[in-house]
Amino acid sequence: MKFLHLLFYRRVVAKVRGSSFNKYSVRAGRMYSSGPHRSSFFNHQLRTQNDEPRTHSDIHSITHSKLIQRHTNLTANIVAFCRYLRAHGFRIGPEEEATALRAAAFVTPNDRTTFALALQVSLTRTVQEVDQFTKLFEEYWKELENALDSKIKDDESKKDRMKGSNQPSFDALKSWLKGNTNQQETETATYSTTETLSCQDFSLISSDQLPELERILREVAQALARKINRRREKTLHAKEFDLRNTLRRNLRRGGELLELSYKRPQRNKTRLVILADVSKSMDLYSTFLVQFMYAFQNVFRQIETFVFSTELHRITTELKQQNFEDALKKLSDREAGWSGGTRIGGSLQTFVTDYGRLLNRETIVVILSDGWDTDESTVLPEAMQRIHQKARKVIWLNPLAGFSDYKPRTAAMQAALPHVDVFASAHNVESMRALGKWL
Amino acid sequence: MHNTELQRIADLLRTEGYITEPSVTMAVYLSMQLQKPLLIEGPAGVGKTEIAKVMARALDTDLIRLQCYEGLDASHALYEWNYQRQLLHLKMIEARGNEGKPLDDLEEEMFSEKFLMKRPLLQAITHHKSPVLLIDEVDRADEEFESFLLEVLSEWQITIPEIGTIKATHIPQVIVTGNRVRELSEALRRRCLYLWIDYPDYEKELAIVRGKVPQIPQQLAEQICRFMQGLRQLRLEKTPGIAETIDWATALAALHFDHLPKDLIEQTLGVILKDWKDTRTAQLSLTELYEKMSVMSKFDAM
Repeated sequence: MKFLHLLFYRRVVAKVRGSSFNKYSVRAGRMYSSGPHRSSFFNHQLRTQNDEPRTHSDIHSITHSKLIQRHTNLTANIVAFCRYLRAHGFRIGPEEEATALRAAAFVTPNDRTTFALALQVSLTRTVQEVDQFTKLFEEYWKELENALDSKIKDDESKKDRMKGSNQPSFDALKSWLKGNTNQQETETATYSTTETLSCQDFSLISSDQLPELERILREVAQALARKINRRREKTLHAKEFDLRNTLRRNLRRGGELLELSYKRPQRNKTRLVILADVSKSMDLYSTFLVQFMYAFQNVFRQIETFVFSTELHRITTELKQQNFEDALKKLSDREAGWSGGTRIGGSLQTFVTDYGRLLNRETIVVILSDGWDTDESTVLPEAMQRIHQKARKVIWLNPLAGFSDYKPRTAAMQAALPHVDVFASAHNVESMRALGKWL
Repeated sequence: MHNTELQRIADLLRTEGYITEPSVTMAVYLSMQLQKPLLIEGPAGVGKTEIAKVMARALDTDLIRLQCYEGLDASHALYEWNYQRQLLHLKMIEARGNEGKPLDDLEEEMFSEKFLMKRPLLQAITHHKSPVLLIDEVDRADEEFESFLLEVLSEWQITIPEIGTIKATHIPQVIVTGNRVRELSEALRRRCLYLWIDYPDYEKELAIVRGKVPQIPQQLAEQICRFMQGLRQLRLEKTPGIAETIDWATALAALHFDHLPKDLIEQTLGVILKDWKDTRTAQLSLTELYEKMSVMSKFDAM
């Protein structure tokens, strides 16, 4: 029995890197010598009279008391569960852990569903997390029980990690992310001046020139952003008299209205929605586009970014914390069969139904895709029509349009064009610069 | 002991006419116990706002509502000086002649609570009894407002330069709702407990309809709910929520129908679908929906 417990704790600890908690867990495992182990952990009651959040130091300070040890078993499990969730992409900090512990104190852990609900309410933050939670909860607590039931278990977490890297799509993406592998030599590559680089298709630029390219892109974007800002200043001349503020300012003069104040019209309200195709052929262009667009962050009220290949994903939040490449990588880690084809129609349809609220007269939609759709073509025109109706402007960027002999022949492109205001290419720096005048 | 408290809240909500799921009860319960704001997200028309209303009734306290919109700023959410009144007051003093009152007193008077217009947030924290504060559709407000809201929600105090800091007399029970118009900031999410409400399943919807429209014939209620369940499976621009179901049920019950024939559905589709394209989609698959509904009803009868 003693041994089993030790084993179980080690298993939990395996998922918990470092920390004092780690030490404690193992120690507690050794010290633990009696009690109903085989039953589930829900049978252990929490000390309920204490509403204080139980922190690590808390746990530490009570390790020596055997009496309380039984209670902390559940506490420790909850903390470990939080970490388990964190490993699955949940954003959980000490504060959330504390909330979960406090919440758990308000329910009797015997009732599994109630217990799960209490943890769910305190640990989830988005619908996606709610969706995942039940599964993860079951997995975790089942694993705990299994650990008690069987003697020898190979480390599944290790297996999981192996599985993660075996995904072909992930590998492909990773290899690309490591640097542009497109090492194709071109004549101009030796002359890496700004001009030649600006006119070159992104896919033909070798990896050692990437930093230079990024610098140029950033400069162009900043210049454009400034220009757009100025353009807006000029239209700000329409001033509105602000009675409230005028009265306020003139109060000190005893209410004689001497100074007048004016309201300025609201700042630019335009919202930018980017829908970027990240299927194999397109991910490179998408990376540049998204990078480029983020220089306009201060120009627009809001920038929403979506990526799609077989499915549509909103990555606006992720982009606040990491760059586009990392966000994509995380996404491909999570989604099986990611970038296994392009469903433009379906993805846009999802956008319209799930995020249609983002569209209004103040929204500019930028779609980046080469128009190779594996969906049937009826969905796409409908979705495009819908987007076109609701948004102020729809810009479709197709890198292939950079070739002089390009004709939008694919069925999807043909179907989409009537609902597009601006059709342009975005294959090199020059075309990005041109994009500025459409925004 | 705790579960009885949980049960009490479930009962409270039920007696106030809100049919709950365990997750809703749990969220409300924990939000009250931990004194943390509760963030509720979900599609339109599933009763997010209703939770706050019901809570206020159940706790026998006031509901203070802050409806968010684009451009909502501090002066509309917190407080504002009643400038016109201040000005008038000043003129009046002037007309009457300042009876040797020291200037300081006068100034104090000008910025006393008399001239302060309390907006919902200030109202909520200075209320005589802990109210339910509903911050509705917070995602419609700008991001700046959100960060400003955070400050109030964590400190429970509001600083007014002319008066000083006003501390909360009671910590209000806060419900924040969102429609996912834009992604809420991580900071706000972390400050709150989270609840996602989805469209109800058949049993729950039926219970809600029967609760809200008591005079409705059983068969009609069942058929309406079955139909709605089927309808939500379609890819619609605007999926109808519970509010639409109740509207429909109320309308049909008022017209004294006791069952739901196909042509009646067609005629009254406008009550539940508010988009012409959706109406067309529904009309096209009406036969299928109707058959599905009938089959399911037969199953129930068996």
